[in-house]
Parts: sequence; C-alpha cells; structure tokens
Amino acid sequence: MVNYIDLTIQILVAMGVTALGFAIGMLFNGIARKITARIHNRVGPPIYQGYIDVLKLFTKKTNISHGWIFDFAALFSVAGIALTFLFLPVAGVTLLSGEGDIFLILYLLAIPALGFALGAGASGNPNAAVGIMRALMTMLAYELPLVMVIIAMMVYYDTTSLAVIVQKQANMQWAIFIPVFFIGALVADMALQGMLMEKPFDIPIAPHEIASGPMVEFGGKHLGALMLYKMMGIVVETTLFVDLFLGGGVVLSVSQFGWLAYLVNFIVWFLLILFVFFIALLINAVFPRFRIEQALKFYWKYDAIVGILILIWIFVGVTI
Amino acid sequence: MNHENWSKLARIMSKRSLWMIHFCTGCGAMEMPPVMTSRYDMERFGMHAMATPRQADVFLVTGYLAVKTLKRVVQVYEQMRDPKYVIGFGSCTINGGMYWDSYNTIKDLSKYIPVDVYIAGCMPRPEAIMDSFLKLFDMIDKGEAIGWQKYHKYYDQYKRNQRMAFSYRLDEVKDIKEDDKE
Amino acid sequence: MITLTIAIFLLGIIIVGLLNRYPKAAGVIAFFVSLIPFFALLSWSSVMNISLPSYLHFLNFETSWQYNLGPGTLILQITPLGWFFLLLLSSLFPMVILFSISFFRSNAGGFYAAMLLTMLGSFGILLAQDMLTFYIFWEIMSWSILALVIRGGDRKAIVSYLSFGALSAMLILFGFMLLYFKTGTYVFAEMHLDASNLVLAAISLIVSGFAVKGALMPMHVWAPHVYSKSEEPFVAFLSGGLSKLGYFGIMLFMYGVVGFSLLSSWGTFRGVPLFGYTLAVVGAFTAFAGTVLAVMQDDLRKLLAYSSIGQLGYITIGLGIGTPLAITGALFQALNHTFFKAVLFLAAGAVYYRTGKYKISELGGLGYKMPFTFLATLFSIFALAAIPITSGFAAKWLLYEAAIEKKFLFVTPIMLIAGVGAFLYAYKILYGVFLGEPRYDVKEAPLSQLVPMWILVLPLIIFLIFPGWFVDLTAPILQGYGMTAIPHTPFMINTSLAKYNTLAVIFGFIGTLLFAFILYKSKPQERVEHLDNYLAGEPPELYNYNIAMHASSKYYEPFDEVFYPYFKKGAERMWEIILAAGEVFGSGARKIYTGIVGDYSIYILLFFLIMVGWWLLW
Repeated sequence: MVNYIDLTIQILVAMGVTALGFAIGMLFNGIARKITARIHNRVGPPIYQGYIDVLKLFTKKTNISHGWIFDFAALFSVAGIALTFLFLPVAGVTLLSGEGDIFLILYLLAIPALGFALGAGASGNPNAAVGIMRALMTMLAYELPLVMVIIAMMVYYDTTSLAVIVQKQANMQWAIFIPVFFIGALVADMALQGMLMEKPFDIPIAPHEIASGPMVEFGGKHLGALMLYKMMGIVVETTLFVDLFLGGGVVLSVSQFGWLAYLVNFIVWFLLILFVFFIALLINAVFPRFRIEQALKFYWKYDAIVGILILIWIFVGVTI
Repeated sequence: MNHENWSKLARIMSKRSLWMIHFCTGCGAMEMPPVMTSRYDMERFGMHAMATPRQADVFLVTGYLAVKTLKRVVQVYEQMRDPKYVIGFGSCTINGGMYWDSYNTIKDLSKYIPVDVYIAGCMPRPEAIMDSFLKLFDMIDKGEAIGWQKYHKYYDQYKRNQRMAFSYRLDEVKDIKEDDKE
Repeated sequence: MITLTIAIFLLGIIIVGLLNRYPKAAGVIAFFVSLIPFFALLSWSSVMNISLPSYLHFLNFETSWQYNLGPGTLILQITPLGWFFLLLLSSLFPMVILFSISFFRSNAGGFYAAMLLTMLGSFGILLAQDMLTFYIFWEIMSWSILALVIRGGDRKAIVSYLSFGALSAMLILFGFMLLYFKTGTYVFAEMHLDASNLVLAAISLIVSGFAVKGALMPMHVWAPHVYSKSEEPFVAFLSGGLSKLGYFGIMLFMYGVVGFSLLSSWGTFRGVPLFGYTLAVVGAFTAFAGTVLAVMQDDLRKLLAYSSIGQLGYITIGLGIGTPLAITGALFQALNHTFFKAVLFLAAGAVYYRTGKYKISELGGLGYKMPFTFLATLFSIFALAAIPITSGFAAKWLLYEAAIEKKFLFVTPIMLIAGVGAFLYAYKILYGVFLGEPRYDVKEAPLSQLVPMWILVLPLIIFLIFPGWFVDLTAPILQGYGMTAIPHTPFMINTSLAKYNTLAVIFGFIGTLLFAFILYKSKPQERVEHLDNYLAGEPPELYNYNIAMHASSKYYEPFDEVFYPYFKKGAERMWEIILAAGEVFGSGARKIYTGIVGDYSIYILLFFLIMVGWWLLW
C-alpha cells in the first residue's frame, strides 16, 4: 500500500526544489553578466536580468516553429534538465538520487542535449548543424578526463551512487582534502569549463562565427525554454561538481540540528556552487576561444594524462 | 490579472530586455562599439546584441540603404517576432542624407518598414543613440511604439512600396500601379 | 515435432525457391514458415519457468530429440541459454521476412530460400547438445549466409566473407578436435575437462573462431564489406540476429562447457580470470575503435556496420568479466542490440526503398516526409545511445556497474567514451537522413515495412519499464552456471554499488515533460517553411528558392582530422601483412620441392635419422 500523504509531500518537495533550481539558474545568469561587466569595467545589467529575459521571451506575441520535431527542443531540454536535477543530491537532500547513480546522471544529461540537437537539426539551418557538431565534439572531449576522475572516485569510495559519495564525505571529510582528488578536482574543473560552455570552450555557441550555432532559429518561447535549460544546466553541473568534491555542501547533520541544518546546508550549497561558477566566470572573462580540434587536443592530451595518473594512483592503491 | 495588466507587464518586460540586431549597412557601425563597451555600456538597460533576427526585439538600421540592401532589411524585419521595434539611425534613413540625389538609395525608410524612433545626425554621437534607447523605452511604456502593429495593418501598402523600390524598370512600376487599380 | 519442423522448413525452402517469379507469394509462404520457431519457443517456455496460457502454446514441441548417426548421436535439446537466443532470433526473423515482402519487387525466391536455410541452421545451433550437431548446423548457417552475400554481388564482400568464414570454421573445428582428443566424446554434458594447457588452447581457438562471427576486432574485417553491400532485410537479420550466434557460442563454451572455476584455474587478476580479462580488454578496444570508425563513415550502411561492431564489443566486455552482473548486462545488451540494430537497418532499407540513396550526404529532411520511420529510428537511436528513456540504458548500466565492481579502472573510461562517441554517429544518422533541408518529395514507407519496425521497437519499451522481467529471464541461465540472478524487483535492479529504479525515471520524466508541455503550450505558434530561415538576410527568392542548406557532407571533419592518422592503417592492413608474411614463408617452403629424386631421398634419410636420433636420445 502506497502512503499517499508521503508521496504527495515528496512530489511537492520535488516541485519546490525544481522551482528553486530554475530560480537560482536565472539568478546566476544575472550574476554572471554582472561579474563579467565589472571585469570589463562596465556597470552591467541588474542581477535579476535573467528573470526579465525569460519572462520577456515567454511574453512574445508570435512564435515560429519549423514543425513538430523542432518543438522537441523546447520540450526535451526543459524536461530533461529538470529530471537530471531531481536525481542530484542537493545540499544533502536526496530527492530521487537514491534511485539512480552517477552513470544515470551522465546519461540523463544527454536527454536535453539530444532534444536540443533534434530541434536545432530540424530547423534546417546549416549554422545549427555546425553548432551541434561542435557541441557533440566538445562533449566527447571533456567527458574523457571527467569520467576518469569520476571512476577513480567510484573505486575509492566503492560505490557508484552520488548520494552515498556525499554521505561518505560527511563531517567535513570532503574529497578535495585528499591530495589525489585535489588534483582530480582541478582536472574536473577544466572539464566543467567545457560542460558549462564558458570560454575558452564556448565553441558550440560562437555568436560571431556561426550566429549562435544551434540556437540560430529559436526565438520567443522556444528560446525561453532553451535559456531555462542553459541556466538550470549551470546549477546542475556545478552541483555535480560540489557533490563530488565538496561534500555536497553538507556541513551540519540533519539528525543533530533538525531544520536549522537544512537551512545552513542550503546556504552553504548555494555559496559553493556560486564559488565554482565564479571560477569558471573568471576564466571565461579573460580567455579567447579555442578551435574545436584544439579543445579536443587540450582535453585528450593534458587533462587526460593527469586523469590517467590519478587512475594509476588509485589502481595501485586499491587492494582486493 | 486582467488583460490590460498582463499586456502592461509584457511591455515592462519587453522594455527592460531589448535584444538588438544591428544591420550595419554603412558608416554607422563605427558608433556601436562605444555604446556596447565600457564607455556607455548599454547592457545596464538589459540590452545586448544578438546574432540572428529570430532572437532580436529591436532592429537598428545604421546608415544608408541601397535598394539591394533594402531587400535584406525587409527579409530580416519579417523574420523578427512581434513585438518588434525599429530604430532608424542617421540622416540617411530619414531623407537620404548625403545620398539624397542617388539613383540607387532609398530616401525614406518608413515607407518600407515602420520606424519607431529616428536618430538624426551624420553621424549621431553615442549619446544620441543612448538617448534614442531611452526614448524607445518611454514609448514602449506608454504603448506608443506600435510600428509592428502598423506593419500588420498596412501590410499591402508596405509591400507595394517595397515592390516599387525593388523594380527599377519603369514598365514594372507601371505594372504594379495597374495591379493596384484592379 | 522437431523432425516435422525441419521437414516443413526444407519443403518451404524448395517451394519458395521454385516461386522465384512470384515474389509476393514466396514472401507470404516464407513468412508463415518463419513463424514456426516462435511457436516452438512458446511451447518451450517452461524451461525458463514461465507459465504461459495454454492458447499461446497450442503446438507441443518435444524438449529433446536424438538421431543416431554413425560416429555419434545428433542431440537437440532446449536449454535456457538456447531459449534466450532463440527468443531473439525467432522474434526477429518473421519481422524481417514481413519487411522483405514489399521490399523485393522481383527475384526474391532465392532470397527467401537462403534466409529460411539460415534460420534452420540457427535453430539447430541453438538446440545442439553435442559438437557434431553444432558444427553441422553451423556450416549450414555459414554457407547459406554466403549464398545471401553472393546475391549482394560485391566481389570484396564475397571474398572477405568467404576467407574469414573459412578461418572461423577452421578455428572452431580445430578447437573441437582438441576437445574430442582430450575427452573422447562429442556431447557437452559428458565432457570432463581439467586445467591443462590443451584445454586452454582449445577454448582459445573456439572463442576466436566465434569472435569472427561476432565481428570482434581484429576479426571484423569482413563485416563492413558484407553489411554495406548486401540486401537490407538480410543485413538486418545478420547484424541483429546472426552475429549473436557468435556470442552464443562464446557463452556456451566459456561458461557452459569449461565453466568459471576452470577458467579461473589458468590464473586470475583481481578476481577475474585472465582469459576473461583479455577478452574484456579486446572488447573495450573493439567498442572504442568501432565507434570512432563509425563516426567517420558516410555510407549509412557502413556506419551502421561499424556501430554494430562497437556495440557488440560491449557484449564481449560483459562475457569477459563474467560475474552474474556482467553476464546479465551482456545478455541485455545482446537483446537490445538485436532489436535496435534491426530497426535501424530496416529503416535504412525503407529510406532506400523510397529514395534509392544510401549516402548520408545525399539524403536529408525525410523526418517530416516519413514520420513513422523517423520515430522508429529515433527510438532505436535512443536505445543505441543508451538514453534512459529506452531499455538501452539498463544494459550499459549493468556493464558499467560490473566493471566498477571488479575495479576495471582503465576499461570503464573507454566504455564510457565509446558511449559518448555513439551520440556522435547517432546524431549523424538523425541529421543527415531525417532532419535538415527536405530534399526529396517522397511518401511514407509502406505499411508492411512500418509494422515490422514498430513491432521490433516494442521490446525496447517493455524492458525499459520492466527491467526486472529481463533479470527473471537470465535467472535460469545463471543457475546453470552455478550463479544466482542479481537482486531485483520488476521495476528495479539492485547491485552492490547502487540501484536503478525505472519508475523514478519514467514518472520523473513524465512529470517534467508535463511541466515543459505547459510552458510550451502557453503561447500559440505558427509553422514556417524551411526556407524562411536565418540566411544572414539573403532573401531566398533571389536564388529561385534553390539554396543548399544541408551541412551533412564531411559532417565531423575536425574529428576525422584528429583521429584519421591513428586509424589510417586499419585491421585490413594488419591482415595484409600477415598474408604477405605467409606468402614469403610459402614461397620459401616451396623451394624444397626441387623435383629431383635424389633430393627427396635425402629428405627421407634426414627424417629417418632425426626420428632415430630422437628415439635414442629420449
């Protein structure tokens, strides 16, 4: 017999956390633009600019569509990224993350990307096709060092579940304090730069080369959905990083402190993802753009070699 | 929330986040970098330049328009989504400016697409551009920037003017005029 | 009843062979004959502890059958492993035949006859209980495939299939001989093997022989040629169904005949037999190299062929690791691959049927013209790329878990990267063929081609929702090897490392999709035609509405530039070197035959002296 009251509460919490994720994502957009503007010695937009942009896009009077495959982009990107967020432990709150593991998260992240790619391809614009090609190749490039570090962590912690990894880092035993995973965090942070599509890896969306690439034909509500996807993507990817290396932002145990722990953990989680995103922004603000094969060579040569060293370290260290 | 309030909210959002596509046909492009970068910084109004017309709300036609470029301007304008606004930049868009007697440039942009705000000058200073943005905000707030509605309403006339401009042979112009009589 | 089945098959082969001038009639007869293995499968469902309602198995097949032949007895008997692979082949086969009824416009009798013979051979292989029966049916299957390859008419395909088929048969036969030499019996159940090097040699030979059929690198050279130059329905059955027979053979001999404990006695590394470890590493290499080569192809069928090689590499990894988790994953991957790859090849056939093109750079924009073909392809591509909204994910997930559980630190990243590489070529298929600029004004594929595709998509959806049902299927197989099935409920699979709950994924996805749908429906939209597009302001009427916008030619050019130097000297080059070395050795050896009687008498004398010397010394 299913406990309906519990189920309802869980669904409500899930909806609340998803809404919070979208809200933080939109806030991050504004913060990012503000910080970049300050680095450029400009005033910059207000930090709530992200909300205004999304609302404006959803209040456009007319919208165009290139057919039903084109609409997949709007549907799959928002749905997929929200689903991925539900499978992440957020500040120690495990919504659905007990039901899947890191492999599931890595593959769930492909749902919005593939939906986006379908829509962009259906628009028939050659710029979009080139952009998707670049996006997929960037993905191939950064995944190799990323999965090397993640697999090293999986073997070290003897689990593939992200929730358990967060649990094992409780009481401030964060993975980043272990020397090998400190190096791993640096490798993963480089991969994160590609994941967030910040410079020097903003190759897929290069407005000056290929007219913003995959987004070339999207406008109005479609573009609004894609902006939601991109903003939520920042939260999802930085949360993944924080969960892996920074203990998911858990500083107080819930059993000891009750509701206060939830509050403090959420604040710490927010500050940590902001910090991780801030590093990415600083790199973004001062670097030019790589070409696609340069990005591939950077990740597969330098990043991956460090990844292999980490794997060897773990391989020698683990005994059965 | 009733419809009036809703459209008011939409107007406020539209005002605070104008995404711009600039059609750099002539000399006017030189005045845009100071507006975008740290000297004047138009991003503090939530404006920034977009790559394609699908994403853009405001259309900046900078400088003179040859008949050949007018075709592209019309194509870009029709690809933008409502509500959309046009800023005519420089004297050339108002009366042809220094090309007033050229056989190959159009003299009055508002005959072909509806223009919400004009900036006079050759060239207008970046301050004038900023001023035009503020003017456009004001007009959007009051609901006066209705160029896109005019384009729907008088679509046939705009199309007729465009066809007249595109057809450089006199007999074609005659054909168009006879079509209209029927 | 099995005698009757074989008789009906042979009769059917003769009839459809004679009906060469009436392709539709031959197809319908072949379809009805092809259903028989499926009925046999249903009547044997008690082997897998499945109780079906009685109307589903109205034909009662006996579970074992014997025929006394001079040197030994032919034994056919249903086993859980045979049942599982028969499930794949017998459900795929009628669909492929149904597809071909409208696909072939003429000259189809020979095709149906050879296909039925292939199925008969596979039926025998899956039921065989001794090496003699196994080998006889293996040869029937291999030679009837050759007939079908010859119908394709490409010389390179025929020669490569013939030479690699012969190599495979020789390796298997040699392995069988060694096993018979060691044990003195043909029957699997009566073999008592020990940990001698002879058995190791035998099993190595047999596994490499089967690896040819399973297109494992570097034995894969025949596959791209055959896949890209044969008729579509046959390729669907070859890639989806018949390549699994190689893995059936590997499983049968590695775990059924030799067994896990005996494999471990030849040395283990971190709890995995060295034999299996080697196999897993070769499988990972195959998965990666197959994927990279698939990304570089422009021919749709060649792309699918290399993708097949890559995906089958995953099965090898699973069989190499050999834990219950890994074997479940390998079998799951085999099931998924059967269905999605068959659908992809059939869709390629349907596209060819309508447009007459196979080159990806020449196709485009068929998604709106052939929506049902597109959707079937999309589902199979989700399964291929292991997106968690089809059953493809569960298989890959099980394999990843198995690799992590056994601490395969260097194999797992390669598997994952091959998985990401699968996105690349999957999108190449989707964009190049179905999206982008509409270039062809064609109709949807005929119904008799759509129905098989959609029936083959169904298992991918069923096993997405109920991965536990699949684990139930593997339980009797694993029991036979002294292992227990992995813990599961219908919706959930548990491992020692994590769990995978499909209900959470499905309901989560439906919920979030609903949210996205509400957002999407919040505003009306209008449909524009594809030329109303961002072309940097260029009006299309200036070009008479004739603008090429498809970017699928040399789609992954930067990728090719980076990877081509490493894959330039492929496996074909390796085999050429081996052949050249063989030729040098052969021509050297031929010089012995001088034709002078005096030389020969000296050889005889030398031989005699050596023999005597050996005898005296020992």
